[in-house]
Amino acid sequence: MQHDNIAIEVKSLRKEFKVSSSGKGFLGKLQALFHRRHKIITAVKDIDFKISRGEFVGYVGENGAGKSTTIKMLTGILVPTSGTAEVNGIVPYKNRKKNAAKIGVVFGQRTQLWWDLPVRESFDLLRVIFRVSRSEFDRQMDKLEQALDLKPLLEMPVRKLSLGQRMRCDLAASLIHNPPVLFLDEPTIGLDVLAKENIRNFLAEINREEGTTIILTTHDMNDIEQLCKRLIILEEGRIMFDGETEFLKQKFVHEKVIEVEFHEDGCVIQGIPGVTVVREQGCKKWLTLDNDNSGIGEVIGTIASQYKIKDISVKEPSVESIIRNIYDNRVRLSTPSGKSFTE
Amino acid sequence: MNPELFLKFVSISFQKQVTYRFDCFVGIVNGFLYVFIFTSLWTALYSQFDATVHNGFTLTAIITYAVLVMAVRISFTMDDSIIYRKVMDGSIAMELIRPTSFFFMNLAENVGHSLFHIMARTVPIVIISIFLFDISIPFEPVRFLAFLFSFLAGYVLISMLNFAAGLLAFWFVEIFPFMLFKYALFTFFAGGIVPIDFFPEFLKPLVNILPFQYMLYFPTVILTGRIPLTEVHSIIIAQLMWILIMGVICTLMWSAGKKKLVIQGG
Repeated sequence: MQHDNIAIEVKSLRKEFKVSSSGKGFLGKLQALFHRRHKIITAVKDIDFKISRGEFVGYVGENGAGKSTTIKMLTGILVPTSGTAEVNGIVPYKNRKKNAAKIGVVFGQRTQLWWDLPVRESFDLLRVIFRVSRSEFDRQMDKLEQALDLKPLLEMPVRKLSLGQRMRCDLAASLIHNPPVLFLDEPTIGLDVLAKENIRNFLAEINREEGTTIILTTHDMNDIEQLCKRLIILEEGRIMFDGETEFLKQKFVHEKVIEVEFHEDGCVIQGIPGVTVVREQGCKKWLTLDNDNSGIGEVIGTIASQYKIKDISVKEPSVESIIRNIYDNRVRLSTPSGKSFTE
Repeated sequence: MNPELFLKFVSISFQKQVTYRFDCFVGIVNGFLYVFIFTSLWTALYSQFDATVHNGFTLTAIITYAVLVMAVRISFTMDDSIIYRKVMDGSIAMELIRPTSFFFMNLAENVGHSLFHIMARTVPIVIISIFLFDISIPFEPVRFLAFLFSFLAGYVLISMLNFAAGLLAFWFVEIFPFMLFKYALFTFFAGGIVPIDFFPEFLKPLVNILPFQYMLYFPTVILTGRIPLTEVHSIIIAQLMWILIMGVICTLMWSAGKKKLVIQGG
């Protein structure tokens, strides 16, 4: 089969929502009683991508960029307006149940556990739902209990779990049937640093050991930097970048930023050669080198000898700042896959 | 649908009802009040006329009908706003990511709900009524078996009706008015208040093209003995036909509704 190596394939996938808008105030609402205005909102605009087995892909974008809508189409919850999608060679919106048996899904803002039942019983229900044999289930549970430290939680009712505990349980729940593809929609939302770290380690492990294909949407750029080799960036329903996270960092690495805080007396600086001021905030200034990084030592030396400075540091660009850069400046450059950052 | 799974969800839904014990107590009083009102009304009405049989019902027969139709109705208690709530809070998404049929999971939830109401409300109300009112049911095992069949078929039909009505939430933000309309149609045309035999002639063609009479009226009159045993099979066949028709309607609505679905709250 030609699909053997492809976990997910998406072709000109599009999703439109019809939204009815009523006017403002009493009169507006009254008018809407008789004449309703409809607006079509396109959440996902003809996107294409392919994800191979075993990939760990970050799917990012601002709120409302269409991330969750894409995930919901790939999990069979929403039906696309046009275009096609295949997950494990199955069309999710046509064969929802068949698709569901072969994927794991976590929506960070919801739980698929039963609110009033102890965690253990929720897992047992999922065992029956996903038709996992008792021995298979015990083996998988052993693994998950250890990796996610679930033992102390098993007898607790789900409503009593903290957010971090619940997320660990939800992750385990999504993996009970050991699915080849895992969709994670903001699984680290609202978690503390330690809880995030634990979940990241676990995800890296199952991706490595089980070869699970993972698609992760997140607003936490540390998730991306630590986990995702590949990054798909969405903006207003379109893919604006699809390529290696490392490539993105490489491209911007020469844009190291020197952060200088000058002394109040000598705040006005004029013309340090080879440097551009990119941002100012009182006496704090952010500088970039015009050429490459070779002259960074000289530049710092020049600044230190000519001005009174309080503080100076060199910042590596984080993926987050790179993405913000792309959003803000619409930097145009082409990526290995031939996609352009902006349209 | 996996039977083990179905039973598990019936049991969860049943247990959830147990937590609403006070509701249940109020439900018994409420159900009994209805029985009392209807039996009193019929007694008063019958006392106004010289004739003892109206539209084929003696006073005993109509009181038996009033008690049993209420018993069947209470047994059919289900929460018809489940789908609406799941769409409104977006939790329907968490069900759709499972390899289970939405209809059958919904049915399991309803069955758990109803089993509880049968145990906690139908049984006590029937027992009290047997002592208080003049009720006569023919004791024929075959008839009782036929009733069980017809009762189950009626149950599936109501489930389908509620399912289809609930799916309207895929199209409309507010479906309460539809539910009220459905409730009124159902209560009247299923014979929940007055047996179909008492309906004026001009309504009969309408009654016959609607599925409602197969939900309450026929299961009840099979039990009361109004339907001769030789005719019972044709009623059950008609019920099965309606299940088929409603099944097609539900399937069509489901596949059209999926395209309209919006998941609230991201």
